[in-house]
Amino acid sequence: MSKRTERGKYGQINMAKVRALLRKDGQEKRSAFKTGNFDIVGFILKVAIACTIVALFVVFFGRFTGVYLAVKTDGVTNVTARTTELLTILYSAVILGMVIGGIGRIGRELFTADDMKLYAAMPLNAKTLFVAKLINIYLSQLIIAFVAVTTINLTFATQTRADVAFYLLTPVVCILLPLITIAISAVLVMPFQMIKRFLRERYIVTFILVTAIFGALFWVYSIVLNGVKQLLLGDSIRWFFSERVMTAIRSVCGALYPARWFAEIIGGEDRVFGWLYLALLIAACTAISLLVIKSILVRALQSRNEGYSRSVIKTKSLKKIDGKFGALLKKEFLMIFRTPSYMFSYLSVAVIMPLMVYFCMDVSVSLIENLIGVNCNLELALFLTILFGTLTNVFCATNISRDGQMFYTIKALPLNYKTVFFSKIVFCMIVTAVSQIASAVLLAATGSVSFLNGVFLAVIGMLFSFVNIAVATRYDFNHASFSTEDDGEIKESSGTVSVVIIIGMVMSFAIGGMVFILKAFSQLNHTGLGYMTYLITAGLAITSVALSVFYLLFRLDDRYYEFTGGGGI
Amino acid sequence: MTDNQSEAQERREVVRIRGLNKRYNKKSDWAVTDVSFTCYEGEIVGLLGHNGAGKSTTLKCLEGMIPYEQGEINIAGYDIKKNPEEAKAQMGFVTDNHATFIKMTGMQYINFMADVYEVPTDVRVKRLGELEEVFQLGDAIENLISSYSHGMRQKICMMGSLIHHPKLWILDEPMTGLDPRTMRAVQEFMHSYAAEGNTIIFSSHALGTVAKLCDRVVLIRKGRQVDELNVKKIYEENPEFDFEEYFLKNEQKN
Repeated sequence: MSKRTERGKYGQINMAKVRALLRKDGQEKRSAFKTGNFDIVGFILKVAIACTIVALFVVFFGRFTGVYLAVKTDGVTNVTARTTELLTILYSAVILGMVIGGIGRIGRELFTADDMKLYAAMPLNAKTLFVAKLINIYLSQLIIAFVAVTTINLTFATQTRADVAFYLLTPVVCILLPLITIAISAVLVMPFQMIKRFLRERYIVTFILVTAIFGALFWVYSIVLNGVKQLLLGDSIRWFFSERVMTAIRSVCGALYPARWFAEIIGGEDRVFGWLYLALLIAACTAISLLVIKSILVRALQSRNEGYSRSVIKTKSLKKIDGKFGALLKKEFLMIFRTPSYMFSYLSVAVIMPLMVYFCMDVSVSLIENLIGVNCNLELALFLTILFGTLTNVFCATNISRDGQMFYTIKALPLNYKTVFFSKIVFCMIVTAVSQIASAVLLAATGSVSFLNGVFLAVIGMLFSFVNIAVATRYDFNHASFSTEDDGEIKESSGTVSVVIIIGMVMSFAIGGMVFILKAFSQLNHTGLGYMTYLITAGLAITSVALSVFYLLFRLDDRYYEFTGGGGI
Repeated sequence: MTDNQSEAQERREVVRIRGLNKRYNKKSDWAVTDVSFTCYEGEIVGLLGHNGAGKSTTLKCLEGMIPYEQGEINIAGYDIKKNPEEAKAQMGFVTDNHATFIKMTGMQYINFMADVYEVPTDVRVKRLGELEEVFQLGDAIENLISSYSHGMRQKICMMGSLIHHPKLWILDEPMTGLDPRTMRAVQEFMHSYAAEGNTIIFSSHALGTVAKLCDRVVLIRKGRQVDELNVKKIYEENPEFDFEEYFLKNEQKN
């Protein structure tokens, strides 16, 4: 074979290898559903959450669409214009979500996926690898587009008389949308990776930034929640759309390209020019995707084989003694604080938790008062505190697994099993105490609950948090699953997390629901059973703490010695 | 009883393993069967065997990392099952996977280990200086361990395991990943450490290293202890003794 032919053989896209790569990805995805690997509880939970979100969206968006399409500007209704505006805003949100998801997906596929390190040393040229990766990324975006756009359009269609083209064009939008979002994501992925690299060892900056972004998102969520409340309470939302507001919405929607073109095509406002602009944009985007992803693929292949950068961190001298317990506490903190995903899912969530409770309290108090005419502030606060406390402490379901193979090293150190377990629990309790106290202070300061009720709330919140943490830690110990990654970081939630979420949610709904119903019953019937809230929650909290301590310590000494879990040693 | 054993009996026992049996689950075969040996103070003992012979399993049972079904392990007078904390306080160990807390800096890791082994402040500063002379991590000790190469992780694990100056130093495949200079330095350190009256047990495939370093070798095959050799004595009697040939011949026996 001549050298030229050989070069041609290795320089071109090899469709057989593309198919082999896609087959491998498919097999890996399917293996996740096989017995032993399949997290049935987590799967059911995810499906249930997704269905709930879609159902809530369909109900509230359907109702909102009816209100919005009836809004008059200059004294007349204009359904076509409102349709375009509404769809423009929603498609923009979908595009934004898909771009954010796309940045993450491209980053994962090209920079962090396990297979890239192997591929770099295999006879796979960049073009072949690129096509296989691009198909994977496109398919994942297609699924998101299909779920989001179909839900929006079908809900919309129930509120208005949509023409045949509306239905026919819906799948076309689903197919075309990822072409644009992938291009935008591809352009943004390198700056994002650079920012990630810059922030990698700037932990405090990352913490502040991530917490601020998360807080801002929750603030936006509270605005949406307020809108939902107004929808439920009556007509007040209709008066929100004044001439001034509508002018602002029109001007914003006028600039929201490319979502506006999709909306114009679907809504039938301007199909000819919409198609033309969209065709040009898609052609440009496809070219950008091909060029950009190909160029970053080569860099990604090289970067996977580079070591970490050297970074100098000034540590305190060796003269500071922390003691065994202190050393383990410090270790827990460093492991979490210096792993961005852990920092976000625990520390940032714990900092934001008081805001979550406050926003939800703000919305639900007036909603309950208007709908059933009772004041159940303390009961609502208890329910929200336990619920959000549970969601924050779900992180503790990886308390053992996070240590990875180092858990065996810890076992071989001269440490008592109680010191090992309680250092983890105390660390989580410190985080949760800050969160619970801040939450109670915020509710008391804003007048949602009295000072004494605030104290009660903080104490009960901490007791139930202890229950969450203790149960999650022991459950994780019994079902530990260590990461196989080099850095030992847990990147996917296990069945343990799903089980702990369910236990926590059942607990919060059962306790919160019980005291809420009792208080509502007491107020509606003037039976004077208000004190039952204190009695029931305090009684249940103390009992739960006792049971959780028993569960945590039951044969722990023997099990700690016998431990060979986590996926082997 | 060999001559070496009777000679060594006068010295203090640091490790005593009797009838060690270990299997990973009830359905699996025994990973280690009836392993028994004793190590005395000032000795370097090598565990030699093929891949999967049971060397690492024996060391992990000795370290208290994994449970064992039958037998007795005693470290410096403490039973690893009955007095685990006291027994573990007598030893330092380096695992074959060099597992360490990679989100700590090297210095934080040393501090962590010093805290766990309750090393006083002035002592830990002095010992770190001594260990730095051997392992020479330099300024990298202030870097995150996640940025370390394989060899550097090996070094920080060794430094952490020695910060409390253990009576027993256990190493699983210690020379893997070390550069030649550090390998030489570690070998010299092992000799001087044992000369101070401490005991070192290590597993290895590197026959040359074993021959050069060990006083005694415990040979393990398919989970069974098949031989115990007095390396020093063998070399004294026959300086041309081919360790590799002996090992390979032994491997062929069933």
